[in-house]
Order: sequence, then structure tokens, then C-alpha cells
Amino acid sequence: MDDQELIRQVQEGDEMAFGTIVSAYKDRIVNYLYQFTGDYQKAVELSQETFLRVYFKAKQYRPVAPLSSWIYAIASNLAKTELKRTKKFAAVSLDDIAAHEVRQKAYAADPPDPGLIRNLREALEALHPRYRVPVVLKDVEGFSQEEIAQILKKPVGTIKARISRGRSFLKKRLEKALAGGTYVA
Amino acid sequence: MSDWEILRQLDTVKAPPDFEQRVMAQLSLRKRTERRRRAILRWSMAGSFATLAAAAVLLNIFVFQGRSPFGIADRGKDITPASSLVQRAAHERTIQIIETLDYRTEMRSRSAEPETVYLLEQVSDTTPRGVKY
Repeated sequence: MDDQELIRQVQEGDEMAFGTIVSAYKDRIVNYLYQFTGDYQKAVELSQETFLRVYFKAKQYRPVAPLSSWIYAIASNLAKTELKRTKKFAAVSLDDIAAHEVRQKAYAADPPDPGLIRNLREALEALHPRYRVPVVLKDVEGFSQEEIAQILKKPVGTIKARISRGRSFLKKRLEKALAGGTYVA
Repeated sequence: MSDWEILRQLDTVKAPPDFEQRVMAQLSLRKRTERRRRAILRWSMAGSFATLAAAAVLLNIFVFQGRSPFGIADRGKDITPASSLVQRAAHERTIQIIETLDYRTEMRSRSAEPETVYLLEQVSDTTPRGVKY
């Protein structure tokens, strides 16, 4: 049974179909929210809320986009709201990013060491949600720019710019960390 | 390999084993809460309408009863309100009859003198002259 048929049954109040959707997407959504928030418990709570919204707002779903995009959109909105509530992210000036000369170093050429991963996670958590959401969707979840544009309901050009700026910021942070500099996340 | 595939190597996590049970438990709890909320809303709406209706009836009985538009219009003026006349008439069990009246015919029939017929002829003060037959 495909996603469209499942969501159609959920729209009619079928809890079995809803359970199937939860089983199919739970790991992806929990992982996505974990990468977004950096907190496993919070990611699980937000994932539960995401699926509950999928059930209660199923009638608002229109099959113009894949079901996965819709679920990710709900999860992204919840995560952004949660981050706004907790004010966890640090404000980053985009001028700093633009002025920064990006070094062409392939970070993934070597096997990732725990320190690098930790630095990467810290840099990700310091990134503003406006840039973090498209970066995580693109580089962690593997969505295309068009799919991300669909999820976030933004033009593809905006998404491209945000991914580029987000990556630049991450590179800058990682370079500082690799150079042995300290920074406050 | 893209520079940014390193992000894919971030430690991944999975949902806890009882995730679905938790979601389903939350779902039934939310459904129950939603049902209760709807019931409360329905009863509060019904209660509000009933209270409004009762208030309207009570106001009509105790406040607005006996007040007609005539009374309200004549309030503050030093005259007998038209409403009291109407009320008095109603109290005396009089039947008001309204009939149309043509004053032209009424006045003519009330005149005691016979009808006068006026003959109008041309009168001139000038002397007739030079009229030869």
C-alpha cells in the first residue's frame, strides 16, 4: 500500500494506517529532529508530536507533494518553534559569513574523527534554524533542493542561497576548530 | 565525494522501541481530550444561548412591559402621552371606528341656503357710440 492510500485511510480515521505511517517514518523523523536539535529526548518528543499532528491534520493534506515532504514540513515547523522557544541558537551575522574566504578543503576526505564530529555538531547547533533546516534536509536527509523548496514552501533560489550560506558558516566554524581556535557555540 | 557528505556521517539515531505504542497512547489521550473539549464547548454554547433567551424573556416581562413607542416618544414632554389615551380607551372597552371623510360634500350638505347660480356677463363702463343698425 503506498503513502497516498495510507494517508487517505488516515483521513477517514483509520488508526491501523496511521500506525503503518508511524512505523515507516519514525526512524527518519527522530533522526532528522535529533540532527536538528542535538537532543535525543527532545527529538523523540517532537517526533511524537509530529505524528499526532499528521493524524489530526490529515484532512489538510493535499496530494500535490509526497507524504514524506509533508511530514518533514510538520517536523521542521515544530523544531523551529521549539528552538525559538528555547532560544538555543546563537545569532550569526551573515556579513561575517560573506566576508569569510571559504577554504577548499574536503572535510570528508578522511575518516571522521570524534572531535570533528563533535565540532560539526556544535557548529550545526549554533547555526540559525533558517539555514540549519535546509542544510540538514540536504546534507543529512539527502533531499534535493526542489524537494526542500516544497517542504519549506520557499523558492528554489532561496533554498540554494540558504544552503550555501549555512555551509559557509559551518566551514568557518570547523576551520576555526581545526586551527585549534576556541569559539563559543 | 562531496565536501558535505561529512554531515551524513554524524551519529544517527533511531526511534525507541516503544515509540509506536507511545504515539498510539498519546493519540487516544488526545482524542479523549478533544471529545471532552468539544462536549464542553457544545454545552457552554447551549448554556449561553439559554441564558440569553431567559434574559430576553425576563427583560420583556419586567422592564419593557407597558412601554409603547408613544410613551418613549412623549417622555420628558409636559403632555399626556398618547399611549395613556390609547390605554384608557382600551380600558373603557371602546371600539374605535375609522371612516373616511370627504369635507367638500359634507360642507355642501350642511349649508341651509339654496344653491346660488351666478350668471356672468361682460360689463363695460364706456358709452356705446356710433353703433347704427
